[in-house]
Amino acid sequence: MQEKFARSRVLFVQYLKRDWKKIIVWVLGLGLFSAAFVPAFEEIGMGQGLQGMYETLQNPAMISMVGPTPIENAADYTLGAMYAHEMLLFCGLFAMILSALHVVSHTRKEEDLGLTELVRSFQVGRQANSLAVMAEAVMINLLLALVIGGMMSSYGVDTISVEGSFLFGASIGMAGIMGAAIALAMAQIMPTSAGATGSSLGIIGLLYIVRAGTDVSNVDFSMINPMGWTYLTYPFTENNGVPLIWAVVFSAIVVTVAFALEGGRDMGAGYLPEREGRESATKSLLSVPGLFAKLNKGVMISWMIAFVIMGAAYGSIYGDMQTFLESNEIMSQMFAISGVSIEEAFTGTIMMVMIGLVSILPIAIVNKLFSEETRLHLSQLYATKVTRAQLYWTSVVMAVVAGIVGILLAASGLGGTAVSALGDGSPLNMGDFIAAGYNFLPSVLFFTALGALALGWAPRLGKAVYVYLGYSFVLNYFGGILDLPEWFSKTAIQSWIPRMPVDPFDAATFMTMTAISIALMVIGYIGYRKRDMVEGA
Amino acid sequence: MGEIVKVRGLQKKFGKFKALHEVSFSINAGEVVGFIGPNGSGKSTTIRTLLGIIHRDAGEATIFGKDVWKDSLEIHKRISYVPGDVALWGSLTGGEIIDLFMKLHGGGDKNKRDYLIQRFELDPKKKAKGYSKGNRQKVGLIAALSVDSDLYIFDEPTSGLDPLMEAVFQDEVEKIKLSGKAILLSSHILSEVERLADKVVIIRQGKVVETGTLDELRHLTRSTVTMVTEGDAARMASVNGVHDFKQSGNQATFSADNEFINDILSEAAKLGVKKFESVPPTLEDLFMRHYEV
Repeated sequence: MQEKFARSRVLFVQYLKRDWKKIIVWVLGLGLFSAAFVPAFEEIGMGQGLQGMYETLQNPAMISMVGPTPIENAADYTLGAMYAHEMLLFCGLFAMILSALHVVSHTRKEEDLGLTELVRSFQVGRQANSLAVMAEAVMINLLLALVIGGMMSSYGVDTISVEGSFLFGASIGMAGIMGAAIALAMAQIMPTSAGATGSSLGIIGLLYIVRAGTDVSNVDFSMINPMGWTYLTYPFTENNGVPLIWAVVFSAIVVTVAFALEGGRDMGAGYLPEREGRESATKSLLSVPGLFAKLNKGVMISWMIAFVIMGAAYGSIYGDMQTFLESNEIMSQMFAISGVSIEEAFTGTIMMVMIGLVSILPIAIVNKLFSEETRLHLSQLYATKVTRAQLYWTSVVMAVVAGIVGILLAASGLGGTAVSALGDGSPLNMGDFIAAGYNFLPSVLFFTALGALALGWAPRLGKAVYVYLGYSFVLNYFGGILDLPEWFSKTAIQSWIPRMPVDPFDAATFMTMTAISIALMVIGYIGYRKRDMVEGA
Repeated sequence: MGEIVKVRGLQKKFGKFKALHEVSFSINAGEVVGFIGPNGSGKSTTIRTLLGIIHRDAGEATIFGKDVWKDSLEIHKRISYVPGDVALWGSLTGGEIIDLFMKLHGGGDKNKRDYLIQRFELDPKKKAKGYSKGNRQKVGLIAALSVDSDLYIFDEPTSGLDPLMEAVFQDEVEKIKLSGKAILLSSHILSEVERLADKVVIIRQGKVVETGTLDELRHLTRSTVTMVTEGDAARMASVNGVHDFKQSGNQATFSADNEFINDILSEAAKLGVKKFESVPPTLEDLFMRHYEV
């Protein structure tokens, strides 16, 4: 036992030294994000704000997105309750994803890159690395919990109690630890790091979708869901610490299983078997597009499936919306006045969320060209007839096509289930959904173009495009709620686009954004053609 | 045909680090040029410049009379390249990758491909993830050799191959050379360069410090002489052109400057020679001398 984990401490310290900048950005960034909106929420809560928000969030569609609250009637809906209701699930999800990505990059990915081989040749226990990484992840999440708790209680707001604040922070921290545990386990099972990342995110996504369903139908079922344990602590209202205990037990079990799995396998391998290959290449592989299609196949298929599932999951909620409206006086009035049906309003919001996610796929495809470059996979190709133009444009066009197909899948998934759930009297038909989705096409093109621009001029900033995507996503998501100044919301590209079907289609914006995106892609090409190829990390 | 590759005064800087100061050499058709130098001297940088992977800062570099950056596409139609580090897509098999490289090159000889796969004893059905370093290199080599090009550029092609496979490689290179192609061979395996190269270019810290045929270069260095004499060989130590004199009993070993061979022989004859062995300088001796200087 001792031997397996020898030198863990050395590795642990080493990781801290290596990651300290990342840790600071992570803890402060996510911490601030989770805790700093208190004043903003105070603003919203003024006057009838709390009650209005309560009613809005009783909409099953909203519950599927942000989760439930234990409060039974609007009068008891405090600021604390509202904050936890709107923020906790989301922040926990973020923490989970970040921790999962971090763990995979320090375990499986390093193995794939051959770094682990060198380290293992030293006097380091075979599993010391996993222990060090897990310890690091736990430490980061503990720190995060403390920062959040401390920040929130410092506001001194009435219903945001010290006890509640630290429970809030702890819930988010535990979410992160669970994410790390899941990733550690998947890193043992999957044969590649891409597989480990994909399956970890897939599991998290699945937990989210299942929880969306159970939160709406019967919250008790959400208690079985690991993701449920993060927000069912209900800080500031029930202040229930029990779910966190489940979370700790769950994490401990998963980590133990992961260690056991690691002890049994060879380095560089997963438990899923490798399949045998072909002696000669099929015709479809023999070209630049063919090669790139093969390289991106896994990523594309996984995300496409995710888009359909995501759309369908949200679509199924449409049926409950009318029922909700009928039972709620205030909301019926609100919608009657605005002249927009509740289904239309929700479609506008959810479509923006989904298309934001769809944008991830094209960015990934464009970034792949750079990762192929640094991994030296393209070295021998440079001396062939293949031009840089071919490499660049094949990637970019493939990304754009993937984006277009992605929108189709997400919108159809949503529309398909929504229309069937709404039945005959539906205010929306399939066409409306598809139109609403494609309305956002320019924003997908824009993100693809940013990725292409980075690829051509500053390839190492390719990952930063995701950061901007995340930032715009958050701005859009919270924009309505927080009532941000217009210039600020406009820094997110999607806010320039009207939200169909509520707002009418704006051809000018559509065309302009598309044109700008294409221009950026061409500029990116100029840079790609001119720059030195980077060989080696 | 004549001059295939022409490099004059090549310069390249990476940030503050000047990787290439003044690189000049040429390669003719039917010629194998050995490109050697210590680690980090600029060999791969020079090769990458020739391939249009990176852009030179100054100087001239042409292949087939065309500029390596501006006309890279035209040039690439007629060259084959094996990089120093063959990195492959783990999920594709060796056979698929070779076919892919050949196709992207604009076509190759399928019979030659099959012949080479057999000769190099490569399993084409195995996924690249499972290949050892040497087998990965074989994939790169087979892909390059299956295509008919006018210039072949090999960057440390046999560093992972076993001696048997290395012999196979040398054999294939001989064949190419005899059919009149030009070859640039960058290698650390001096015996290989010695066997194959017509001309040698030695680079050090971004500058070419020596160019010439092996014979020309040998004139500049010393042979290793081992001799056994009847009389005491100690006197040889003071002869002109004798260096690093070592003696054990009647056997003396020393390095001899080729220009003073006559003087040395005359002196040795006076002592009564029982054994006189003169080994010409190996490329390794040449190489090592450049590092000490």
